[in-house]
Amino acid sequence: MQSKLSDIELIEQTLAGNQAAYADLIKRHQRFVFTLALRFSKNREDAEEIAQDCFIKAYRSLSNFQRQSKFSTWLYSIVYTTAMTFLRKKRVDTDSIDDENTYIQLENSSSIHDVNSAENKSRSYYLNQAIAQLLPDDAAIITLFYMGEQSLEEIGNTLGIEPNTVKVKLFRARQRLKEKLERNLKHEVKELI
Amino acid sequence: MNTMEEKLWNYIDGTCSDEEKKAIDILIAQDEVYRRKYEELLALNREFSKMELDEPPMAFTYNVMEAIRAEHAQQPLKAGIDKRIIKGISGFFIVSILLLVIYVLSTTRVAPVNLSGHLPDSLKLPDIKNYLNKPVLEGFVFFDLVLGLFLFDAYLRKRGVSKQG
Repeated sequence: MQSKLSDIELIEQTLAGNQAAYADLIKRHQRFVFTLALRFSKNREDAEEIAQDCFIKAYRSLSNFQRQSKFSTWLYSIVYTTAMTFLRKKRVDTDSIDDENTYIQLENSSSIHDVNSAENKSRSYYLNQAIAQLLPDDAAIITLFYMGEQSLEEIGNTLGIEPNTVKVKLFRARQRLKEKLERNLKHEVKELI
Repeated sequence: MNTMEEKLWNYIDGTCSDEEKKAIDILIAQDEVYRRKYEELLALNREFSKMELDEPPMAFTYNVMEAIRAEHAQQPLKAGIDKRIIKGISGFFIVSILLLVIYVLSTTRVAPVNLSGHLPDSLKLPDIKNYLNKPVLEGFVFFDLVLGLFLFDAYLRKRGVSKQG
């Protein structure tokens, strides 16, 4: 059962030495942090490592958290920097992070993997599949906007960019997501015929 | 220049100005292409909003808390010592010394003071004037200066470390 206390109250209790309060804070945010990490890493094991690392880093610097912004915004900015560092470490060539070809491979492998479960494929399945094929930045912006309930300003703070840039990036990300969705659905229809 | 799609997304997100909103309201009402595109994007927006979060492994919270506990356990002993214990020990010694001094003073018999201004013949003081020559004084000042610089350096280092932490 999750605590009814606010994030700030749980932070104060944690700073006073109550570790159980921090466990409650983790339970409250773990799903989103994990999802966001997954958007960057495209792999559950790596996402778990990033998410875990992120909560440990947040615990260490909890006393530095300025209560001017939401705890979630602060936490997501840690996820972003942790994920970026993780990806840079993992791929020696940093340019490959932004290389769409990397995700085309993933696209092909995921379609092979799930051919037999056509009946179980719901709309959310196609959506998740299309998101997994996006570049990490696009997937993160979509996730922060729709699932993190973050405003353009808050997303800007998380990613370290201007709100107007977020707006443009969000527009492009939605266009790419729409294209991927359409392409995947066409592919599935052909398969069924 | 904003495309139709971009304008419609801003309209759906509520990030356009009042004037733009009014203009788009009219376009949706009058222009069939605009209306269709708006409905398509609105449906897409609804789909995006229904996305579900992924579940981390069952033991995720436990693993994080274990990692935090392990990190605490690995802290150096110096950082792990409770300051209250140090204060308690030093307090004990201070009280003990004070009690000892009080006991010694209360049990010591003070001999009558010789008011004649002459020291007793049995008491011979060393002639310190022979020792206080120029090289000794210079050496003493030099030693003080080195000690002062060493302590100042230690203070600055300590301050630097606490700022980094």
